[in-house]
Order: sequence, then C-alpha cells, then structure tokens
Amino acid sequence: MRNTFHGGVHPEEHKDLSREARLRQYDPQGEMVFPLQQHIGKPAKPVVQKGDEVLVGQKIAEADGFVSAHIYSSCSGKVKAIEKRRVLGGGMTECIVIDNDKQFTAVSDWTERDNETKLSTDDIVQRVQEAGIVGLGGAGFPTHVKLKPKDPETIDYVIANGAECEPYLTCNDQLMRTHAPAIVEGLELVLRLFPNAEGIICIEDNKPEAIHAMEIAASGKQRIKVRTMITKYPQGGERSLIQAVTGIDFPISKLPADVGCIVQNVGTLYAIQRAVLYHEPLFRQCFTLTGEAVMEPSNFFVRVGTSYAELLEACGGVKPGKTAVKALAGGPMMGIAMGSLDVPIQKQNNGLTLLDEDPVLAAEKQMTACLHCGRCTTVCPVGLMPQLMADAAIAGNLERYEKKLYGLECIQCGSCTVACPAKRPLMQTFKQAKAEIQEKKKREGAGQK
Amino acid sequence: MNGVLNLSSSPHIRDRWTTPYIMRMVVLSLLPATVVGIIVHGWQAFGIIALAIVSAVAAEWVFDKVCHKPSTIWDGSAVVTGLLLALSLGPKTPLYIPVIGSVFAIVVCKGCFGGLGKNFINPALAARCFLLISFANAMTIKPSLDAVASATPVGALKAFEQVDITKMFLGTADGVIGSSILALLIGGLLLWSLDIIHGQICFSVLIGFTLLIGLFGGEGFNPRFLLAHLCGGGVVMGAFFMATDYVTSPVSRLGQFIYGCLIGVLGGVFRLWGNTADSFSYAIIIGNVCTPLIDTYIVQKPLAYRKIGKTRRVKREPFRIPKPVIALTIIAVIAGLALSGVFFVTKDTIEEQAMLEAAAAYTSVIPGTKSLKNAEETADLLGDDGIDQGNAHINACYVGKDGDGKVLGYALSITVKGFGGNIIMALGLTPEGEVVDIAFTEISETAGLGMKAQEPEFKGQFPGKSGTLTLVKGAASADNEISAISGASVTSNAVTDAVNAGLEFFRTALKGGN
Repeated sequence: MRNTFHGGVHPEEHKDLSREARLRQYDPQGEMVFPLQQHIGKPAKPVVQKGDEVLVGQKIAEADGFVSAHIYSSCSGKVKAIEKRRVLGGGMTECIVIDNDKQFTAVSDWTERDNETKLSTDDIVQRVQEAGIVGLGGAGFPTHVKLKPKDPETIDYVIANGAECEPYLTCNDQLMRTHAPAIVEGLELVLRLFPNAEGIICIEDNKPEAIHAMEIAASGKQRIKVRTMITKYPQGGERSLIQAVTGIDFPISKLPADVGCIVQNVGTLYAIQRAVLYHEPLFRQCFTLTGEAVMEPSNFFVRVGTSYAELLEACGGVKPGKTAVKALAGGPMMGIAMGSLDVPIQKQNNGLTLLDEDPVLAAEKQMTACLHCGRCTTVCPVGLMPQLMADAAIAGNLERYEKKLYGLECIQCGSCTVACPAKRPLMQTFKQAKAEIQEKKKREGAGQK
Repeated sequence: MNGVLNLSSSPHIRDRWTTPYIMRMVVLSLLPATVVGIIVHGWQAFGIIALAIVSAVAAEWVFDKVCHKPSTIWDGSAVVTGLLLALSLGPKTPLYIPVIGSVFAIVVCKGCFGGLGKNFINPALAARCFLLISFANAMTIKPSLDAVASATPVGALKAFEQVDITKMFLGTADGVIGSSILALLIGGLLLWSLDIIHGQICFSVLIGFTLLIGLFGGEGFNPRFLLAHLCGGGVVMGAFFMATDYVTSPVSRLGQFIYGCLIGVLGGVFRLWGNTADSFSYAIIIGNVCTPLIDTYIVQKPLAYRKIGKTRRVKREPFRIPKPVIALTIIAVIAGLALSGVFFVTKDTIEEQAMLEAAAAYTSVIPGTKSLKNAEETADLLGDDGIDQGNAHINACYVGKDGDGKVLGYALSITVKGFGGNIIMALGLTPEGEVVDIAFTEISETAGLGMKAQEPEFKGQFPGKSGTLTLVKGAASADNEISAISGASVTSNAVTDAVNAGLEFFRTALKGGN
C-alpha cells in the first residue's frame, strides 16, 4: 500500500532529463561567494578578515546565537573582500568573497571514522551544530535546533524525506541510489536522540531504484522502515509527509515536533552522517542542474559558494538553438525565478531549472474569469477553499479571509494555482492577503502599546 | 546566457486544464444527445441547435464589442449555453425561439451580470424559463411526454401506466430535442468520470428526487414508476448538465450536497403537486438562487480543524473503483432495466407473487375448500396451455373438494385483455354452475377508473349469477345484467366477458362432460 495525503496535484515530472546522471563533484574555477545569511535565523559573523588564507573546510563565519549556523569555506585561497553582493532573490547581502586558488587544499580529508557507539546524544547534536548543517530540503532551518525539541521522549516519528516531489529535480534520487547506507546511518544517529521514535524513510513511487537501494540499506534495522508514497506534489512538504505517515493534520501555528514528528531531508541526513562520524563540515551538497534549455542536465555534489552561471557552463551551457527564458533556483513549483545567474549557490539550494518556454506567460494569455469549478478546493492539501479565499481577498474582505476561510493556514504550496483552469494567480493573491493581514496586525499591536 | 530572464512568483508551471478545455468536454458530452435528437427529430431539430449556438456566440461577440470588453467567444461558454438551450427545446419549436432564447441567455443572464463566472442563474435554464413564460404556445411540446411532465398526483400515476419507458430512455418518444436519457447518461457520466462535474451534485439531485417521488408519489419504490419519473421532464439533463454548472452551484462538498438535495426535493415537489411541465427547470433556478447563501455560510474548515479530538489514523491509498468503470456499469444497468421494461428483472418475483395470490384467490372463490387440485377430468379438455373461450382464455380449472372428497365447486383461472394489459382473474362456480365470487390475480388498469373493478360495487354484482351476462350502462335492471363502471367500459367489458367465458366453459365442458 502506498501512503498519501489529502489533495495535491501531479504536474509533469520532467525528471527523465537528469534522473540517470550520476552525482559528480565539480571544482569551480572562479571566485567563491559565501553569503552570511544562508539559513533561517540571525546571519553568521565573519571570523576571517580580508587577506586571510583559508582552506577547504575552514570556518569562515560563526553562528550568532542558537538559531544560526556556522559557514565553512569550500575552496582554498585568499579572502578577497567582505562586502555586499547580489544574492538569490535579487537583494544585496553581506558576503565573504574568496579568491579561489583552484588547489582545494583541505584542512582534513575526513576519512577517519569515529566509533559511534561512544557518542552521547549531546555529542551528536553538538557535532551537527559545529558542522553548520541546515535543512537542505530548501528551507535552510538550522538542523541542531530541530534536533533539540523540548521533550525528545514525545517524538514518535523521525521522517526521512526522500519524496523529492518537485518536478525536474533528481539529486535526492541519485543520492539515495548511491549513498543509501550513509543516509540510513544518519537516520540512526538522529533516532538515538529520540528513544521512542520510529524512523520512516518516505520515497515517491516514481523512484523505484532509490526505494530498492534504501530498502536494502534499511533491512535488518528494527527502528527503520521504508514507505512508498504516491507521486504527488507537495508530497515532500513537511505537513504533507506527516499527514501521510501519521494521519495527523495540524494548524500552521504548530510545529511538527508538537505532534511528535521530526522531518529531515535525506540530503540533511547524509550531511549529519558525514559530520557526526567524520567531522566533515557542511560545505557541499547535492544539486540538480536541469531543464529543457540545458545542454547536459546533471546532478552534482556542488561546493557552496559556486556561481550558478559557472555551474551552468560546467553542464555545457544553454543548448544550441534554445533560448533560456526562465531560470529557477529550485524546481518549478517552489523555485525562485532568477534575474541573473551571477549569484552564489547557498547551502539550502538544491537545483537550477532552465526553461526554454515560460508557462506563466502562456497562462496569462489564457486567463479567464473564475468559473468556480472547485478544482483548487479539491487539490488543496490543507483543505482550504482557495476560490472563496481569492474572492474575499479581491473584495478586500480580510475579516472573512482570515476568520471564516482560515486563509492564514495556507502553506503556499501553489497546488491551487497549478490546477486552476482559468489560470488565476491564486497563490500570489494569497501571499499579498497574508502580508496585508500581518501588516495590519503589526500596526494594531503597535497601536495598543 | 542570452536574452532576458522572465521573473514571476512561484509556481512556474500550470496544469493542462483550461476553460476552453472544460467547455469542449461539456460540448463533447452533449454530442450523443444532440446526435440522437437530430436523428429522431430531423432537420428542424438540427436547425434549432445550429441557430441557438450561432446566435449565442454572435450575441456574446456583439455584447463584448458594445461594452468595449475583450472578446470572450473563444472560451466556449457561449457554445455550451446555446447547445444546452437548444437541447431543452421541443423539436417543432418555431425557429425564432432559439434565437430569442440565446440572446436573452447571453445578454441578460450572463453579460449584464459581468460575464462568465458572474451570473447568478444558469443562463440556458433562465432563458428556457423566460421562453416558457413569454411564448407559452410556441414552447408547448405536443403529445405524450408532456403527460409525464405535467404531473398532477393522478396524472403521475396515469403516466406510470401509459408512458413507454424504453422509448423515453432511447429518446424516441415525443419530447425535447435532448430527451434521450441513454445519450444524456453517457455524456453526464463521462463528465463525471473526467472529474469535470461534481458527483455530490448530480447524484444528490437524483437521490433527492427519487426519494421524494418514492415516498410521496403514492406508488412506493416501484422501479417502473420511479424510472418513468426519472426519465421524464428533464431530470437527467438537469441533474448532470444544468445543476452542475460551476458558476451557479456551491463550492464546498457539503454545500454541493445540500444544493443537490434541495433541487431534487423541490423538483419532486413541483412534479407531484405543481401543475407545470417544467418542474425541474424551476427547481434548479431556485437552487441557483440559494447558492450565494450556501457559499457564504457553508465553508469547509481546513483538515486540521475538522476533527474533534486527535485520532491517529494512517492515510492509505484509498481503494477506489475507477470512475469510468462505475459510469459504464451504471449505464449498463440502467439500460438493461429500461430496455427490458423492468419486466425481466422482476419476472421471478412477479410470478412467485402471482402464484401465491392465485392460490389465495382460488380458495377465496370457493369458500370451505380444503384441497384444490387440477380436476383430472378437465385436464384433457384444457391441455397444457388452456383453451380460448369467447374473448377470454381459460388457463386452468380446479376442483375444490372438502375433507370427504365431496365437490364443493370449481375455480377457473381466466385471462382476458383489459385496458392496461392482461387481466388474470379467478372465477368460482358452484357445482350447479352459479358464480360464487370473482377475484383478480393480476390487474393493471387505470387507477381510479378500471381499477374500480376490484371494488365490491362492481365485483359484488357477480355472485349468484348464471347464464349469459350482459353489460349495461347505468343501473342493472334485469337479473343477468351487470352495471358497468363509468369511464371504464373496456375493463367492465373484459371482466364480464371473462365471467361469461367461464360460465360457457362450465356449460359446455364441465357440466356437459359430466
């Protein structure tokens, strides 16, 4: 039996472009840029100065407080500057720029394995924190914070997220196929923190090789099971996975830990294994560069700080005869449209999708009035009624939007927008309405003080 | 990198479904009914359909032009409106009617409220109602189907006996152009299989209607009766194509269910107690009007807020029979039921019931009988299939005897053709050849008229009679006269003929043979 959640959509997968491409290491030749903010929380503080020599795996910025993460260099060379650079999303943030000497001299080769039986639970969390690991699924939430819930006894499930529901992306698929034992070890390390938890590895059924590899790796492990999920977006969303595994739906004000779940991306689990057993800090992660406009779609172990543009060149650049009209950091569902590729890859980034045609432009031409067909309601994984929410938001009735229609529960997965036959920009409307409501609340809060 | 990269907010892909796709599928699913309508009703029907569609599209184009709005004719909704309107018109409707209707639907019902997605009533249906009120004569559909549609309580029952369900099912009966239930069902279930229309609406309409008719129609859940009602008066068309119109139906599942039930029940109420032929159109219009109210108050909560108390249940892939399979099965079953006129499905039960009733009837016509057996001495007279006697047919003859073997009388089973099919009756005779009593084992005459044959007023005239009986209108004056039921001379004649045949059989075969 395959598990699933309520609603969801099944956009065209396009995974065939890169699904068989093996993960390869890429050593960039250009300068490397490390934004100080590559995670949710406070930006890190630089611990190097202009002119310092750094090695691969050397700490260049330090976490500022508990909800923050260290940043390590992924190349060797000289610190060129600490200055504002353009990053993903178009803004300028403080970055450490390193002049790459192309030698990749490392502080260690991280091959000596620690005896894991001697590690205490505190050691595990401490090493994860030291390695600067953040959620590699895309959110970039510092992992050591997630691993320290108030009451570890109440955690029933540690869910390894290998769903990879985002169309186009295939790097987690490749990672699971080639590094299954390491991922299972990572999961076992996490399970040691939660004495009552069961480890569930969730993989969508469009990745049979990955399921097979993970099943072999997990066989004989009492506390770990592999579950096959129906291929459906947003299966890899934290809430959807918890719904599929436990049957629990919980309001947006609650965290997964409140309902006894910890969700970790398989990439993160791999990083945890490397960090805890080999002391390897997080300076590289798996990454897919794909899309119809790419010459040679590939999966990489990419070094943090590499420029998107350079990685694209490593894939042979844009296919002759094609024009890239849209570049997405990530996949087409959650990805951020990029105005320029000259920005660095950050820790939590896992893909670049280069499209040769823009479905959004095509959709704008096909837009009609809302038919009230109810497709958005059918696909909403939260169980909301997007068409009524849009009506309320457009009419400016934020009271109804928030109270009657629970508009703030929207997880902004975009399923409604994909499904809409009238091609209405639903999610964009909701983002705006949400922002307006939060703005209003802030103002009211300020007024009361 | 060459060129400029487009920026937009995620998600960056879209589904294949578009508004024109939905409209195309609706038109496609209406095609079977359209084709059947044209084949059955000929070229005028084709003319009506073509005119309705063309004028709907033209009206939309002109309206957009006049209002300086971008043209919306390519979304396909005008085609759907025109086609739906045409299919709900009679095949002999004058050709100006569909034109007026389409223009009214597009301009008044849709355009004036802001175009697609803003209208509060189904344009095709509203136009039909407008035409019914404004052009009552031109809109009247002549013969028999109207009998069903114009159902008064008595009329409904009358219809039950007179309407040929098979014809209605295939669409060869007189009615609107799109009256082929089979074709509409194929189309409707196709739309449902493709997830274009919501099952909550169409099935709750049908269920609500069936329940109401079954409970209050006076015939119980008799499948023939229910099918006759379901097949007539646009119920199927309404349930699958009119009530499910997106714009004018609620959004939440519960709301859709309430809306569907409301329409079904109202349709049934209008059918049983109203006096209009278009009960269903009005029921759907009322449903449409209630939609904004339902949408305002019946809103589904997010999943996290629905459950009271935290029950942990793992969500598994639900076992579902694929919708197309269900759809085909429904069509097959209904087609089978209708085509066999329900007879074969219920044949065994009917026969069994008939046997029991017959046994009761035979004993009732010869009081004091302990044993009934097919008289040996008459077996050779009748043979296996019985014999014809006058206008009637003698099926069997039984000799009733008491415990001592003394002959108490004879019971004859006689079949005679009545107004509503065969009447099978039991006739009891004394050993001297006098009528003891008559009883009916099978009778399906017109309610309130022919059915009065079962009442003592008519039936009670027979006991004690002998010889040859004559039927008279008004009160009987002579000994061998029987007073006919007023308004049901066919039935009265049939029963009298049957009794005469039995008496004749007694004189020639039973008595003579003795």
